Amino acid sequence: MKYSDPYLAGVALGLVLLAAFVFAGRGLGASGAFASAASSAVHAVAPAYADGNAYFAGYLHEPGGAWRSWLVLEIAGVFIGGFVSAVLAGRWRRTIERGHGVSPGSRLAAAAGGGTLMGAGAMLARGCTSGQALTGGALLSVGAWAFIVSAFAAGYAVAPLRRRAWRES
Amino acid sequence: MVTPLLIGIAFGAALERAGLGSARKLTGQFYLTDLTVFKVMFTAIVTAMLGLFWLARLGLVDLSGIYVPETALAAQIAGGVVFGAGFAIAGLCPGTSCVAAASGRGDGVATAAGMFAGMLAAGLAFPLLAPLYSAGARGAWTVPDLLHVRSGVVIFGVVLMALAGFVLAERLERRA
Amino acid sequence: MIAARLRPIMAGAAFFLAGAAAIIGTPTRSVRGSVDVRTLASEVARESDHVTALELADWIRAAKPGLQVLDVRSAGEFDRYHIPTARSMPLETLVTTTFDPNATLVLYSEGGGHAAQAWVLLRALGYQHVFSLRGGLEEWLEDVMHPAAPTDLTRYFGGFARKPGDAPLTVDALRRHGC
Repeated sequence: MKYSDPYLAGVALGLVLLAAFVFAGRGLGASGAFASAASSAVHAVAPAYADGNAYFAGYLHEPGGAWRSWLVLEIAGVFIGGFVSAVLAGRWRRTIERGHGVSPGSRLAAAAGGGTLMGAGAMLARGCTSGQALTGGALLSVGAWAFIVSAFAAGYAVAPLRRRAWRES
Repeated sequence: MVTPLLIGIAFGAALERAGLGSARKLTGQFYLTDLTVFKVMFTAIVTAMLGLFWLARLGLVDLSGIYVPETALAAQIAGGVVFGAGFAIAGLCPGTSCVAAASGRGDGVATAAGMFAGMLAAGLAFPLLAPLYSAGARGAWTVPDLLHVRSGVVIFGVVLMALAGFVLAERLERRA
Repeated sequence: MIAARLRPIMAGAAFFLAGAAAIIGTPTRSVRGSVDVRTLASEVARESDHVTALELADWIRAAKPGLQVLDVRSAGEFDRYHIPTARSMPLETLVTTTFDPNATLVLYSEGGGHAAQAWVLLRALGYQHVFSLRGGLEEWLEDVMHPAAPTDLTRYFGGFARKPGDAPLTVDALRRHGC
């Protein structure tokens, strides 16, 4: 389980972000891919509604369609990169990470619940830790820095309530 | 089409190597036992920030060709709070949930599923959320413009804060 | 661990690069101007932003001190014909040239559009005594070089009277007119 030094990993991540700026004229993102997926799902079920919803419509009319959008391809890459790296490091394991005494079901519920909140939050904030904190942060965007402060503040406020979830023993 | 894929692969690999595909490691941030999230994120921000400044200065990159996300303070603060709460509960963020899922972690899959549901719900609720969403939306707005200070000075400030943060992080971890 | 020994080096490099960035200031060599739009708007409304061709002709003939007539058209157009005493100053050259702050700068273009834009740019850069020739070179040709009723200014600049039925004067005609 030899993780890389966090600062070196940070430099590597920063260089990836820089490469995105230089070669694609934009930064990284993650939540946008989920928004694209949600938009396409709605469109598949109710195309007229999807086109009429200002939020979903924004993700639908990209050249090549939502599924071919830049972010969706990038996220596919994230899966691949994560997978390859985990396998090469011997860290691939079919498991549900959780604290001692926490049932898999309750952990999955927390993960899904937290994910839902993040989905809503990222929708309002126009991004997540990748799109706003990393990308917007590096570009010195006021809104991005406001997002960073708000998100970390809320995280630190909520975490104590969930301490039991990550007990070591 | 190849560019986003390659960038994504590098992104995912960097996150996984840093250990950010593990919810247990990520949540250490909030309990001040493992501050990897802070170290990785801010080192990345500083690296990209400095890299962009100097590449532009050397004429190798045209800053006006880079898309700066828009600022909508009310929505981004509200969204940030909701997002941060979710992050603390799930232990993974959108990008790292994909890395976790790709590493076999079921909780990564659940988080990603939750993200999808959350975005779906928020999109469906857009008519209700629209006033908050659009409040004060003012296009790209950078800290140098806000403070009427040149970007190089802001960058220096950010780097100083990051370095101080790293020193603090090392101390906190040693005490944990 | 190698990484541990690298940390101070990385920190030092970041500090150095950021410090240099702070000293340099901005990554782009941009030329920034600033505008008090209310002031400029009232100048335009009061029409104190432009001069007429006759006024300009008078200034040139009187060799008004500090007068600089600036032609913002292309160099080629300047060579074909330009207002006497004018300097060629295409827009991109104009904004990076330094002028005497006390000079009276009169800008002209073909019809006046580009000159009006150049007026805003020079005012944004801080120059106070800037005017544009409202009707441009067309107004110069019509009012000074080829008016219905020639004035002494017309004769001074080598223009001639327009007879009823004459076509408007063109630059080509002026070139051929010389001897």
